[in-house]
Amino acid sequence: MTWLSAWWHLTWARGRWPQRAAALWLLLVLGAALLAPLGGYAVGADVDLTAASQGPSLAHWLGTDHLGRDVAWRLALACQAFVGPGLVAAVVAGVLGVLPAAVAGLVGGGVALGLRYLTAVVATLPRFVLVLLLLMIYGDSAPLLGAAIGLAYAPELSEAVYGRVEELRRADFLETSLAHGVSWWRLLFLHVLVGAAGGLVARHLLRAFAFTVVLESTLSYLGGFGVQEPWPSWGNMLVFEWGRGLGVAQIAPAAMLLFTVGACASVAGWAGGERHVR
Amino acid sequence: MVGPLATRALWGLATLVGAVTGMFGLMVLAPGDPIDLLPNAEAVRPVLAAEWALDQPAPVRLGRWWGRLLSGELGVSLSYRPGMPVAELVWAAAPPTALRVLGALATVLALGTALAWHTSRGERGPSRAVAQATSLVPLFLAVHAVVASLNGGAFALMEAGWIDRPGWFALPDQASLLRTTTSVLLLAVASGSLAEVHADLEVALAELRRSPFVVAARARGESTTALLLRHLLPRLCTVAAGRLAMLLGGAIVVEKLMLLPGAGAMLWNAALVRDYELVLGLSFVAAAAVVLGRFLSDAARLFLDPRWREVTG
Amino acid sequence: MSADDRLVLEGLQVQAGSRHLVRGVGLTVRGGEVVGLVGPSGSGKTLTARALLGLVDFAPGVVAADLTLTCEGRDHRPYDPLPTRRTEREHAFREVRGALLGYLPQDAPGSLDPAQRVGRPIEAVAARAGQPGDARVWLERAGFSADEAPVVLQRFPHQLSGGMAQRVAIALALARGSRFLVADEPTTGLDAAVQRQLVHTFRRLADEGLGVLIVTHDLRWLAQVAHHVHILDQGTIAETLSASALRPEHATTEVGRRLLGAVGRMRSRGFP
Repeated sequence: MTWLSAWWHLTWARGRWPQRAAALWLLLVLGAALLAPLGGYAVGADVDLTAASQGPSLAHWLGTDHLGRDVAWRLALACQAFVGPGLVAAVVAGVLGVLPAAVAGLVGGGVALGLRYLTAVVATLPRFVLVLLLLMIYGDSAPLLGAAIGLAYAPELSEAVYGRVEELRRADFLETSLAHGVSWWRLLFLHVLVGAAGGLVARHLLRAFAFTVVLESTLSYLGGFGVQEPWPSWGNMLVFEWGRGLGVAQIAPAAMLLFTVGACASVAGWAGGERHVR
Repeated sequence: MVGPLATRALWGLATLVGAVTGMFGLMVLAPGDPIDLLPNAEAVRPVLAAEWALDQPAPVRLGRWWGRLLSGELGVSLSYRPGMPVAELVWAAAPPTALRVLGALATVLALGTALAWHTSRGERGPSRAVAQATSLVPLFLAVHAVVASLNGGAFALMEAGWIDRPGWFALPDQASLLRTTTSVLLLAVASGSLAEVHADLEVALAELRRSPFVVAARARGESTTALLLRHLLPRLCTVAAGRLAMLLGGAIVVEKLMLLPGAGAMLWNAALVRDYELVLGLSFVAAAAVVLGRFLSDAARLFLDPRWREVTG
Repeated sequence: MSADDRLVLEGLQVQAGSRHLVRGVGLTVRGGEVVGLVGPSGSGKTLTARALLGLVDFAPGVVAADLTLTCEGRDHRPYDPLPTRRTEREHAFREVRGALLGYLPQDAPGSLDPAQRVGRPIEAVAARAGQPGDARVWLERAGFSADEAPVVLQRFPHQLSGGMAQRVAIALALARGSRFLVADEPTTGLDAAVQRQLVHTFRRLADEGLGVLIVTHDLRWLAQVAHHVHILDQGTIAETLSASALRPEHATTEVGRRLLGAVGRMRSRGFP
């Protein structure tokens, strides 16, 4: 069975329509982040006061905000604000959280203690505070935001993976596998990381991504960090319409946020319900 | 009982030392000149260059930092309130935030327990789905929605002549029970807070309900409420300790958005103007709070465990 | 408790989906009598005991029905331990639970509150049941000596051996005032000496007027204490033998012969 068909059977074929819809939504968001900037929308030169605060129409599919800027385009463009950092966060969290934890779980002893110490140290600071601190010191940029969130999320991932690997170690699964001649690396990657902890890791990476969405929106909503005007982010689009009545320009970014966060949670739950290696 | 407690305390202290060293280390490792980023860079440069010993190697600077910290000195604010000692600012701002966070902690534990009590019985119902859905709303969005509706509703009522301008209406510096309660509730529920606490407690309660001594008590016709709650306590302690860090982060959002005075809003404003000393001081206090919370939770669990009580009689 | 108290169980059915786990089981336990329920694994004996106590978890697909539980004697009241609505079940069965039926679970140490010293729940249970509240009395009635009792009641469950925990569970049931005891595999994890002690304890309790239903697979032990034994097979009672007739040649069914033959020579209770 090829990798692709195996993946298909494990994920898509087993899902039900809400989870598939959620997965599709996330793909849509990813696509928007990649493609929307290519659409030639002139950010900064899109103010049109004659079309202020309009409802949905043929010219503006989701209406306009109070400066006459097209809501639909800005919603799509806003996806870049968090997709880039989100993927960086997932990678950073994965590298920092998964590999050391898996090794420590296999080896045990002093290495495990060291890992637990480092995890505890990073987890001491609230995640938001850690991210703010890093943004303040190293400057506000998208990759840094991603790295900061990845670091902030690593402890949770690390604990989860370490716990699962430790479970396996205590259940003698690892020792018997090694005794049967399975090579160390194969054991680590195939059986442990993908088989036993794969679903767990996927679930946490999705949560890190969701956290990026929320954090980036929070930062740009509060203003000063994150994406600044005139570049759109769902957060700053929302705060921009504060006090201007409940129109599409306010509902749309809120809805996008809720859908995306919900989609991440849904797919994360789906991914986390993986079979256990036995 | 002293042995394990002392171990926990040492571990907590060690992690705090590691966290603070790490924070300072991040600063030291930053490329470029940190003073440049300050709004009032030129004014403070002479003072800071000496204070921070920028020309010294990193270990020396770290040593000086620790020396200062251990003597109780948290530094002086640079750009937020230039000249004011950080310690003073922090002591003034911390109490309202602490109360808010503790209130939110108590709220989320109570709500989570009540909800888990109901859903752990195994009956299918909408309560779990509803709770999870409301909890998924990001905190700032929830604040936005609640404040907008409150203000919108009040404005509409004022326009229609039903009420005069209420005390809490959009006034940042007036103490207000409504704003405080709303902030505590939102902090407790939003951003997945309630959902995660509920999920955790639900698993614990379901396990407890199935455990042999609870079944035996039911077989005797006894009410199991007190028994379940008593055995849920250790879990509540763990959950509380874990929640504390998230709530501290959320306090920043809530205070800033609802115009409430506190260490959270101060942290944000200080970060905006790159006031390193104040931000580090506040972060240190946050980290210390988390470590203290973990230690207290561990101590409470040790105390509740009968295997230790037999030693103390 | 009087000798003419009778616990009558009739027509118990338990099914999971379309599988019948227990089919129409009925038995009677009289005050002062020890009745055994044996059978191979999967015969449904534990399920019967738990259904009797109302402890079958009504998971989706598992249905217990048609059970009539009657306690005849001084008060001829029929009980329905399995009403369909959960609230009714909880409420109605409180009268039966504990007051009528005491449960001695298989996992005796696990059935005690790990966070309390053993004496406290005994006193609380006795007080609620309107019985004398001195835990030592109940511990002694359950088989502890007068010297052991004060020490035991200060202990936590994790400090008790299996046999001691078993006796504490008995003390709890007695303090509750149960007139009948349902014991689920009481000899689990106990060594031979403690098992012998348990025989004496159950005999003594029966002599005091309690009715005891013992569910077990240990036929050899059961023969020393039971008055008669029901053999359960695939959800129904295959046959019933009195204690004096526990020999393979007296068995009339295949399963009875198999069980009795496997045990070999047994010391019987020797009741008429």
